[in-house]
Amino acid sequence: MTTALSHYLDSVRENLRLDRSLESEVIHELETHIEDELQELKDAGLSEEEATSTCLTLLGSAKLVARQIYETHSQGSWSQALFAAMPHLLFGLLFALNWWRGVGWLLGMLVLVLSMVVYGWWRGKPAWLFPWLGYSLLPVVAAGLLLLYLPQGWSWVAILLYIPMALLLVYAITIKTIKRDWLYGSLMLLPLPIIAGWFLAVEPVDKIPEYWLQRLQDFAPWIGLSFLALGVTVATFIRLRKRWLKVSVLVMSGLITLTMVAYYAEGRLSIPALLILIIVMLLLLLSPALVERTLRHTGQRPSA
Amino acid sequence: MAQRRELIKGSIDSLLLCLVVQQPMYGYQIIKELERRSQGYFKFKEGTLYPALHRLEEAGLIQGKWQTLPSGRQRRYYHITEKGLYGLEAKRSQWLDFLAAMNLIIQPASD
Repeated sequence: MTTALSHYLDSVRENLRLDRSLESEVIHELETHIEDELQELKDAGLSEEEATSTCLTLLGSAKLVARQIYETHSQGSWSQALFAAMPHLLFGLLFALNWWRGVGWLLGMLVLVLSMVVYGWWRGKPAWLFPWLGYSLLPVVAAGLLLLYLPQGWSWVAILLYIPMALLLVYAITIKTIKRDWLYGSLMLLPLPIIAGWFLAVEPVDKIPEYWLQRLQDFAPWIGLSFLALGVTVATFIRLRKRWLKVSVLVMSGLITLTMVAYYAEGRLSIPALLILIIVMLLLLLSPALVERTLRHTGQRPSA
Repeated sequence: MAQRRELIKGSIDSLLLCLVVQQPMYGYQIIKELERRSQGYFKFKEGTLYPALHRLEEAGLIQGKWQTLPSGRQRRYYHITEKGLYGLEAKRSQWLDFLAAMNLIIQPASD
């Protein structure tokens, strides 16, 4: 096959963003089509160059073909939508029903999240895996934040040792996810600004655990509500076909949920803090697209 | 030309089902068969055939299966499913009703 046609297939592959087995099937099917077309054109007396050029014209835009095939396969079933929304819904219930104080519930949640991540990874990283993956990183981030509140010497250990290692782990998993599809990176990072918003609202600066536990208790129903909203967002995301709609639903939901956090935090989250959180949220949701583009330009092919 | 493209776009599912109901076919064969049987009327960007085939497959109306030819080449043949047969029947009847109604309006009145 000529270089121009190989480039055409590469361009389709780059824009498909499907899981690897499906991607290979689509590319192989187009490849067989091109082989037939080229053979027929050459039999009709065209040179290799003419046949390639005619073949490319007849196929049409690689990006359009890839986008249309993506939209055919991008809509998850209702059960996948429920699976994807479940970690947010469970996290929401943990607060709404005041189970967050029970160590048993927290451990149960942790075991469930880790089991789902292992199962999803083993099943070829379907779309529903990524919200679970986001929650599996939460204990890593939370442990780092809590270490900062330990007595003086320990916080240095956290800053010098734990936090860089934790960031490296989060970074590696995020990059791996972005290579599959940057939108899944955004889906995974979606709850982070909301968690940060509630963390700031609880504001554990006074270092007296009883105070911030009490505030957490006061905000628990609203924390639950904000995560239930994220659950609905994720289910909608999975059911949508078009990428621009998926992006819009993530951004809109992030904005609405953060505003909700500020409203229910009863003045504990200042306007500048809210604005910073909104900027962070937009960066978290949209920067995976830039990272994906950079990875492509540096020659790292997206993988499943 | 754009109007024709729109017409084809609206009827592509029916056209594809009509072809694969007679015999299982692969993508390139479908393109050639459409062109031959419509005497060149149905010509479109070939790449856009595959999204349509995949959409019908996702809807359970057709099923694609890889087959290896004696030459060693592989082709993905599309077969119609039972759901596809029902779907085609419904589309045929809709299309005939539409044609009959269009003819009543579009044909010049014979006084």
